[in-house]
Amino acid sequence: MSVVLALQSLFNVMKKEMRQTVRDRRMLGMLIVSPVLMLVIFGYAIDLDVDRIPTVICDQDGTPASRDLTQAFFADRTFRRGKVFLDPSSAQDALEAGDAAAALIIPRGFARRAARADDPEVQVVIDGTDATRAQVASAAASQFLLLHGIGGEPGVRPAAAISLAPRVMYNQRLKSAIYMLPGVLATLLMNVTAIVMAMGLSRERETGTLEQILVTPIRPAVFLAGKCLPYILFGLVDVLAVLLLGNLVFDVPFRGSFGVIALGAFLYLFSTLGIGILIATVSSSQQQAMLGAVAFMLPAMLLSGFMSPISSMPAWLRPFTMLMPMRHFIEIMRGCLLKGAGIADLAPQMIALAVLGIGILGISIVLFRRRLS
Amino acid sequence: MNRFLRRTWAVAHKEVLHILRDARAVYLALGLPVVMLMLFGYGISQDIDHVPMAVVDQDRTPASRRLCQALVAGSDFVREVDLASPDDAEAALRSGRVKAVLIVPLDYGRALARGLPAQAQILVDGSDGTTATIAMGDAAGIVTALSAARAVRSSLNAGPRIRVRFNPAMRSAYNMVSGVIVLILAMVASLLTALTISREWERGTMEQLFATPVSRLEIVMGKLIPYTGLGFVQTLLVLTLGSYLFDIPIRGSLGTLFVCSMLFLLAMLGTGLIASIVAKSQLVAVQFALMVAYMPVAMLSGFMFPIENMPLWLQGIAHAVPGRYYLTTLRGVLLKGNGFARLGEETMALAIFAVGLLAVAVWRFRRRLA
Repeated sequence: MSVVLALQSLFNVMKKEMRQTVRDRRMLGMLIVSPVLMLVIFGYAIDLDVDRIPTVICDQDGTPASRDLTQAFFADRTFRRGKVFLDPSSAQDALEAGDAAAALIIPRGFARRAARADDPEVQVVIDGTDATRAQVASAAASQFLLLHGIGGEPGVRPAAAISLAPRVMYNQRLKSAIYMLPGVLATLLMNVTAIVMAMGLSRERETGTLEQILVTPIRPAVFLAGKCLPYILFGLVDVLAVLLLGNLVFDVPFRGSFGVIALGAFLYLFSTLGIGILIATVSSSQQQAMLGAVAFMLPAMLLSGFMSPISSMPAWLRPFTMLMPMRHFIEIMRGCLLKGAGIADLAPQMIALAVLGIGILGISIVLFRRRLS
Repeated sequence: MNRFLRRTWAVAHKEVLHILRDARAVYLALGLPVVMLMLFGYGISQDIDHVPMAVVDQDRTPASRRLCQALVAGSDFVREVDLASPDDAEAALRSGRVKAVLIVPLDYGRALARGLPAQAQILVDGSDGTTATIAMGDAAGIVTALSAARAVRSSLNAGPRIRVRFNPAMRSAYNMVSGVIVLILAMVASLLTALTISREWERGTMEQLFATPVSRLEIVMGKLIPYTGLGFVQTLLVLTLGSYLFDIPIRGSLGTLFVCSMLFLLAMLGTGLIASIVAKSQLVAVQFALMVAYMPVAMLSGFMFPIENMPLWLQGIAHAVPGRYYLTTLRGVLLKGNGFARLGEETMALAIFAVGLLAVAVWRFRRRLA
């Protein structure tokens, strides 16, 4: 009998929660519009290959040899040919003003020295304010200059003796949408569940409806379950929508099984909802809940390996990434979608996610009940 | 005029009481930027190094060992495991244990000894595109250097002919910190104001305010003033801590920095106000603010992803992101030593955004009441 009753009250709480969410059109819009918008921007905007670096030229030599060198410099698309200056200081000015990010300077006498196999003094000046771009630019430029016998040990001409054939696995053309999608999805689910849950519960407390529900025979655990379930549903719908959109518009492959993704998403949502409840439990207003949720979300995002790889973090920080549910979820998504990894390959991540999810949700429910009594 | 000031002051005073009553929110608002700054600055490095790599050395000659050594020497790669055959490479990549596999074929050393070209292969994991791109570039650079009979020492660092200005060591903290400052201010400032007006709607206190002779402009201005103060403290905190902790030089004019920071702050507070006015509930206002203030700054300001590489239509949209102009200003003032002379355009753009967004806030507020 009590089981039937519990199920009935669970269903009622769910119905209330659904109605509340759907009633506010704007909220519904946010839940649907923001994933689509985010995916589109990430898919189109994010081109991490550094190329087409705007470069100005200062060719003081003006000989066929120097023109050939300039031509060759812009042959692959790493650098993009920009304005031509006659004197080096105005080329440097362009860097200062931000009109260009690199300058190729060929001094007078280049052709003569090159003909004598004397190390010609070509210089590439690079704007270091954007460190990533500067690194790529300087690597490309030094490789180029070395190949043209500039700047190496005097007298040594590089024979193209050793070469390295790179092959990109799983994402041959390095399309950003493909490797960004798991991170986008993880962020999105976190946003939809953690923030919404934290603020929603705080609102119930602020407006006093929480007390009203507690005087009914509904038990706190049932109440929380009823509040969580609709968001798990929304979350899974978002997963489906993003995967479908990614597949249709951006050709994101789907090499693994849907079961693995569904299980991963389910476990991940456990932990994010738990975090939402936890934050609502310790905060006394919606403002606090919002700030708390954001304060959690940002480090979680940063430490998940979504934006910057975990292997280049300092050693002391790396263990903390294991505590981030997002990290494991992203690894599961990347493994399953792109590499076709099965449940056996992803067992460590799944176990970690299960432990974190059940642990966080359990702690949050206990704290919530204690806070109420 | 006198009355206008008095009423604005009254609204501001009420808002200050609201803020002070919720002391924890103030701590969070001031603590959040600091935590973010530390995390980004210390933890997140865009210098891609220590890429875990597996090695399949089928050749086992001094030459092949030299190649493996060269890749590991500059700490760009870490030799995680040695695999017996190329068939194991796929499994190692799929499990995510390594991000790259170097395969040296059987006759590599012999070919080199005979003066013939030799080729090795590197497989990179494209599911992490950032690492893949940079790792490939690094590896190619190292191999070229090795091939040019140059010592391993200059694996990636530019040769003598390459000069990097403004940030010679190419420390990613330099560009990280300026980007993080923009990101933090955009988010915290817009979230601060996002709740103020929606909260009054939600609680029904807005009707009470309307029963008083306070006008719409006075409400908006009054709400703006305390948050400008709080935002100003945040800005100072982030700028001083950022430049102090990470040794970021301030080479340019402090005046320009101050003016542009204030303008950007006002623009972001205005965005938050608009979110607050348009949304009915606090929850929606927060989501809206995150979507219009935080996301564009994170993705379209040029902080993480270069604007030149975006498709043209997105470059157009990027012109409407205030954070972009502020980022240029910050980098200009901090690293390049610029002042108003060079940054006039950016300052103008920020001023237009600040005035425009605040005007829209007042205008939308009026319309909702009619």
